[in-house]
Amino acid sequence: MTNVIVILVILVIIASAIGKIIIEKRKGAKCVGCPYSQSKDSNCSCKH
Amino acid sequence: MKVALTGNPNSGKTTLFNGITGKIEHVGNWAGVTVDKKEGDIKKSLNNTNTDITVVDLPGAYSMSPFTSEESVTSEFVKNEKPDVIINILDATNLSRSLFFTTQLLELGIPVVVALNKSDLNKKKKTVINIPELSKELGCPVVETIATQGSNNGLKKIVSTVVEVSGSTQKAPFKIDCGDMTDRNSVEASDKKRFKLVKRIVHKVEDKKINSSSQTRQDAVDRVVANKWLGIPIFAMIMWVVFSISQTHLGPLLADTFVGWIDLLYGFVEGLLGENVSPVLSSILLDGIIGGVGAVVGFLPLIMVLFFLLALLEDCGYMARVAVVMDRFFKKVGLSGKSIIPMVIGTGCAIPGIMATRTIKNERQRRTTAMLTPFMPCGAKLPVIALFAGIFFDDASWVGTTMYFLGIAIIIFGALIVVRITGEKNTRSFFIMELPEYRFPSIKRATISMLARAKAFIIKASTIILLCNAAVQIMQTFNWSFEVVAEGAQDTSILASIASPFAFLLIPLGFGVWQLAAASITGFIAKENVVGTLAVVYSITNFIDTEELTLVSGGDSVAKVMGLTSVAALAYLTFNLFTPPCFAAIGAMNSEMENKKWLWSGIAFQFSMGYIVAFVIYQVGTLITTDATGTGFLPGLIVVVGIISYVVHLVRKGNQKQEQKIELDA
Repeated sequence: MTNVIVILVILVIIASAIGKIIIEKRKGAKCVGCPYSQSKDSNCSCKH
Repeated sequence: MKVALTGNPNSGKTTLFNGITGKIEHVGNWAGVTVDKKEGDIKKSLNNTNTDITVVDLPGAYSMSPFTSEESVTSEFVKNEKPDVIINILDATNLSRSLFFTTQLLELGIPVVVALNKSDLNKKKKTVINIPELSKELGCPVVETIATQGSNNGLKKIVSTVVEVSGSTQKAPFKIDCGDMTDRNSVEASDKKRFKLVKRIVHKVEDKKINSSSQTRQDAVDRVVANKWLGIPIFAMIMWVVFSISQTHLGPLLADTFVGWIDLLYGFVEGLLGENVSPVLSSILLDGIIGGVGAVVGFLPLIMVLFFLLALLEDCGYMARVAVVMDRFFKKVGLSGKSIIPMVIGTGCAIPGIMATRTIKNERQRRTTAMLTPFMPCGAKLPVIALFAGIFFDDASWVGTTMYFLGIAIIIFGALIVVRITGEKNTRSFFIMELPEYRFPSIKRATISMLARAKAFIIKASTIILLCNAAVQIMQTFNWSFEVVAEGAQDTSILASIASPFAFLLIPLGFGVWQLAAASITGFIAKENVVGTLAVVYSITNFIDTEELTLVSGGDSVAKVMGLTSVAALAYLTFNLFTPPCFAAIGAMNSEMENKKWLWSGIAFQFSMGYIVAFVIYQVGTLITTDATGTGFLPGLIVVVGIISYVVHLVRKGNQKQEQKIELDA
């Protein structure tokens, strides 16, 4: 039983980490967490 | 309602944006920090209406006819997206330059509110601007602002004025025919008329007590700080002090408390698990997740102190002088002083640094800068530097400083090679940068910048690094038959079998063991992973000694476990710093370079450079310290000579191309 709980805890931690990465990527972050690398417009008209 | 924030570079747009939205976008006391538009909603405390007001912070522009791509973001947004109101931020200390752009904005028909920013600096200089008169001349409201100030900063008034003017149509009290924008003479003639108008307005509204042509104390400081001989030694000394404070003195002091908390968490979870839990699960949770992440996060205080100090340097205006100092060297190798801006931004994170290369108009210079910017050690590489400086070099501040300057040297050398290979004539470039005035750095802004970096670091540690460490722990625990490997037989694990072929290639560099190879490989996902993976593969849960207040606990014993000499450790450090950056940064290189050939050449160059630098350090260092070359000297030499020969071949081809061009031109 204890092992099952530990497995669940590990899975929850890993799922949360993956979830956070997906959310950040959807927000346009190129580097997860970095407040200065978010750019939804990186392919916008500013290109040459 | 949509409001656009426009103005010249370094007029304080992003500071004002942060002030009215409560966001923490990166600000810097120099031009070119913002290269892309940023959106945010006005804070409720400033907005008394029921309307949601979205503010768009645009990159700085000097005119509506753009010269660089980030300026085109501004002009295209204003022309195409038609915001409801434009807030035009004027640098009150440089009215004549700022008003040129204002007069163009006033002709668009969109209501304009002028924010006369930095008015506090004007008061210090005893310069008086007649605001009602300026408002009359421009035909739009003018509000005094001090965006850097927490209160009495004019931001509330700006917002209420924006609400008042929205829905109206702007009428410029003048009309200047822009003529044919594709015809140079027509544009020049129109610009001349506009400058004349600006000059007339400034003469009417501004009363300057200090003659701008007279030498000030700031000029005297610049003559020393930006001096062509003294500039570099001063920069080196400042960086050494920054590393000394952050990694030898204040950083470890703060780390003491912080690492204590991580230890407590580790002990608490270990106690909770008890003896009944499977050792495999226990090691994944304790050593892989908590230990691995904890080893990286333990360096957070050091990094926070470093970023705080760098933010102070940027805010006081010093970093802009560094750009001027570096211009002399960059010009000689086919880059411009503008290339230093992405590189300084890259010391925080390579991605925004690479994105900032779009301020560079010349395509080759832009691509070369995007390729070379990752050589500047970014925030993610700092734990690696701190770890190796701590274990092998007794917390020496020279290690970090040397890595920065080695990065700069590689950039200069790399630029020289690129210009030769591309066969482009090294046209003389001119770098004009407005030097911001020195000011006492804001503790608040530096703290905000530091906290933003710390938050990013924690998010990264608890996501990417956590996942990598868990994966490394699992791959180290099992073999390909998914059986748990026996104690001491980790060489048969999945991780060992993947990393061993790479380790073979690293023998001539002095660190040909699978554990170190695995750490370098995970470093391509995020550079902090090097530290996390080393912690997991060597089962070191804590690199920082909380009792002795030294950076690394039992430095000698950790070094022994790794089996590295100091020379090999330095080679390993340089290999991790100067090989390609993380995948996210490579993605940014791809989008800024917009050319696959350049991208792959850039990655190959970064690999080669990291390999050669590590080889030279290890073999020469070993020769000096032991009177014999290191292991794998001959195969390594063959690889290095092969790389150099290929580069020489490319350079010759480039020279031929250049000669042909000259002949054709003649």
